[in-house]
Amino acid sequence: MAQDTGGVKDAGPWIDPLQYVDAKPDLPKETIETAKKIGPLTYTVLIDEKHVVSKLFNMVNVPTGVWINEQGRIVRPNEVAFVDDRFKNFSGLDSAPYLNALKDWVEKGDKSAYVMSEDHLREKLTAQDPNLAQAAAEFGLGEQLYKAGHQTEAIAHFKEAQRLNPRSWNYKRQAYALTGEKEYGTTFRDEVKKIGGSKAYYPPPDLPTGSGPQQQP
Amino acid sequence: MKASMSSGLLLMLLLTALSATAGVFKTKEIPAIIVYDDAATELSSAREEAGQLWITAADLKRATRFEVKPQGVCRDELCFPLPKARREAFLHKDAGASWFNMTAFADLVHQPVAHDAALATWYFGLRSDQRQQLSSLQAPDFTLPDIHGKPHRLSDFRGKKVFLVTWASW
Repeated sequence: MAQDTGGVKDAGPWIDPLQYVDAKPDLPKETIETAKKIGPLTYTVLIDEKHVVSKLFNMVNVPTGVWINEQGRIVRPNEVAFVDDRFKNFSGLDSAPYLNALKDWVEKGDKSAYVMSEDHLREKLTAQDPNLAQAAAEFGLGEQLYKAGHQTEAIAHFKEAQRLNPRSWNYKRQAYALTGEKEYGTTFRDEVKKIGGSKAYYPPPDLPTGSGPQQQP
Repeated sequence: MKASMSSGLLLMLLLTALSATAGVFKTKEIPAIIVYDDAATELSSAREEAGQLWITAADLKRATRFEVKPQGVCRDELCFPLPKARREAFLHKDAGASWFNMTAFADLVHQPVAHDAALATWYFGLRSDQRQQLSSLQAPDFTLPDIHGKPHRLSDFRGKKVFLVTWASW
């Protein structure tokens, strides 16, 4: 699910790498080769211009993964979901334990040790908080004003969204991407510094240690 | 004389009482934009009265698909009854038009409202009935398009495991 206010224009090149490199023959050779190797994606990729999924699931960053079983029930809620090591230097997180957990669930379903108990799930799921709902509305208004050509007015609402939901990097980073960091008055690098550096940026997935039944925290 | 004075007083009292219920808006009509279910609608005339946004019943239907019915404010199967004792806080007749208080309704259905005064734009967020119900642990449903514009609904994947991952170009 691409959380991109810019829609197909911004998210499209990442969804169809071949089309992207065809349109840009000046790209480095390695990029073109990687795109050809990846080819058209074989799974469902959706474009979420209004950040609907983030809003419904109370997500605050990307990538965020949720496991949903055959009955439509959440069995692991929001957590950082790296499926390769492209950002390992930044995050300090190795994708292998998460990928192994994912494979275990695919194989064993609800019997997998990585499926969370109801109590654990309830503890993890962010409670409905009027401030978060208000933050989403302020962000939505900011997007609306931005699309209508009112960038300066939009920034005030993006900032209000962040004040109400300070944990949301989605609000910050989408706003920087739309308006520019200079206009916004801060940078991603400075914001990451404020929380203690990039290794603190993604809380690691809460995976049980060992192969036994899941440990309660 | 005495009788005519008291009937005059009665008339005045009656008129005062009438203007309190039928009422006259104190503010002028203004153009406004309201965003409901993430779709923007331009309104040629709305009223902002004591911080509350009033729109006409016709605009209510056009912008939100909700309609005022005897049983409440309804859209398809969904109906929110209006509190009987406070109906005048939601509904208002003025100069022959029926007006509806969007702000009071949002409050009733626990819906956040974001407002930009300079651009006369109101954004109505997710009502509490649309937000994630944690008690059920069911994944909230949604429909989104793929790169070709074809819509996909999460509940269409029932019977399969879904690994849902968000990402972004930024």
